Amino acid sequence: MRLFVWSATRLFSAALTLLGVSILIFGAMRLMPGGYATIVLGPLASPEQRAELTASFGLNDPILVQYAHWIQTAFGGDFGRSLVSNDPVAAELGSRLPVTLQLTLMSAIPGVLIGAALGILIAVRRGTRGRALGRIASALGVSLPEYVVGGIAVYLFSRYALGLTVGGYVPFGEDPATNLAAMVLPASVLAVFVVSATARTTRDAVLNVLHEPYITTAVSRGQSPWSIVRHHVLRNAAIPVLVVASTVTAYLLGGAVIVEYLFNLPGVGSYVVQAITRRDYAVVQAGVLLAAALFIFTNMVVDLLVGVIDPRLGVSK
Amino acid sequence: MTHLLDVRDLVVDYVLADRRVRALDGASLTMASGESVALVGESGSGKSTLGSAAGRLLPPSADLRSGDIAVLGESLAGLSNARIRQVRRERLGFVFQDPIGALDPTMRIGRQMRLAQGDRGSIRDQLERVRLNDPERVMRAFPHQLSGGMAQRVGIAMALSARPRLLVADEPTAALDSQVRQDVLDTVFALAAEAGTGILLLTHDLSAVSRRCSRMAVMYGGRVVEDGPTAEVLSSPLHPYTAALARSVPGNTARGERLESIPGRPPVLTSESAGCAFAARCAFAEDRCRNERPVPTRVDGRTVLCHRVAEGVS
Repeated sequence: MRLFVWSATRLFSAALTLLGVSILIFGAMRLMPGGYATIVLGPLASPEQRAELTASFGLNDPILVQYAHWIQTAFGGDFGRSLVSNDPVAAELGSRLPVTLQLTLMSAIPGVLIGAALGILIAVRRGTRGRALGRIASALGVSLPEYVVGGIAVYLFSRYALGLTVGGYVPFGEDPATNLAAMVLPASVLAVFVVSATARTTRDAVLNVLHEPYITTAVSRGQSPWSIVRHHVLRNAAIPVLVVASTVTAYLLGGAVIVEYLFNLPGVGSYVVQAITRRDYAVVQAGVLLAAALFIFTNMVVDLLVGVIDPRLGVSK
Repeated sequence: MTHLLDVRDLVVDYVLADRRVRALDGASLTMASGESVALVGESGSGKSTLGSAAGRLLPPSADLRSGDIAVLGESLAGLSNARIRQVRRERLGFVFQDPIGALDPTMRIGRQMRLAQGDRGSIRDQLERVRLNDPERVMRAFPHQLSGGMAQRVGIAMALSARPRLLVADEPTAALDSQVRQDVLDTVFALAAEAGTGILLLTHDLSAVSRRCSRMAVMYGGRVVEDGPTAEVLSSPLHPYTAALARSVPGNTARGERLESIPGRPPVLTSESAGCAFAARCAFAEDRCRNERPVPTRVDGRTVLCHRVAEGVS
């Protein structure tokens, strides 16, 4: 029952957040300088042509009417057509979402698992050398931008035959082997950040837990270090790790733009960025709304998990 | 005779980022089997360090400079990790100051107890023995759903489940309400007596000590300065610090008499104290006290660290 009430409140606040996001995106797109007609028709088009184009997309209506219309159709899953290519936005996003999802899963799941394991090892190891090495490596991993890691990977793997292909994406359904060969490299590039961020957070969380009095108590009872980590540390240190993992995942779900560009992947990120440069309102609005929805959803799942992990939050009885 | 606990000339420093702090400056204490000893002293006197050392539980920042700790004749310093864990499991029990913090917040009490004691008997019985009224409910509860007194009873049940030979209780009632305190202490002492468990009670609550512990050891500046039968130490203290301590206890003064506080502050040592650590606050201090370390002197079944003990100054 408590769980139900809790979920209902969270769902309601998620819906409210999404509504706010939609207003923000809609407003922001209209504030961008350089009208749509100028971008499409070029600076030499006649005023009549521009007026006609603008009117045909309903861009002369009051902004509230435009917004209401957008939201109404969006509820039915219709995000309109691209102002540039005239293709339905929903279909295009739908075909690109699997690429982004695959990239996210392939980098986030192994990345979080490896990062958490490394973080625990670094924290539990008493040796200062291993700890210092871990700190340097994770600082490097977090601060190296994707285009640097990606650039190096592209160079190495295209210059020397190292077994993985650079680019050459095909959908998983068509040819799983080729698909995986093309996805491993971009996923690994993203995973560098995921591993480092997770490892750092895990290390700090574990070190914090290790200073808790209940750990001393467990030691005083003669429990072995492994038993202490397994029974007391993992669960208590999980919360900050989950929060970071979810933030990273949600960020990846929004589209890893640079990696998609570098490896020529037809994902959501590159699609939306391209649309921004072309003032393709419909695509940007739908793309950002999708990213926001995924972000909110991920956070909701993590909130629920955190509530289940920590009984003090009173989610489960 | 093998002592239950034998701490000999223990010197422990804490290594901080910018300096060392000496917590134990040559502390010695012995306990016989089944004996209940109160270790009394102000915060910073080193009693918690001594208590932790009894289970080799000192934090990584602690540096054991010299001296030795033995439990039932077995020196702890050289033991393998596996062996020290076995000693902790079978011979030692610890109860700490923060009862709720000592329990894993994410685990139900029943599971924690099962984890702590393995399959040594029924958890329900253990909880009943520490006089918890509704053991079933306590087992289902998470730590934050318990009161401090209940949580401390759980801690005591866990610490005593293996019937250890020595229980180190580090201010076990400092965080509890005054009515609950007596009750919790009574429970600990009754259970320990029944199992033949010796108790080392670390406290600054002298009134709790006087009724329960047969012996008391007074710590000051990282050393045990007076050690003897509780009643005698409290009624006729030999060390000036013990005397001052005894005068500061409400129950120990006659009606209308002023409670005395000890002038000055306890020392923070960074290295070996040159003389007696109490000299700076002592009304009877002379040159020798400031420059020469006092050695243990046996007087009437007591051990005292004071240069002027023979003169009977306090």
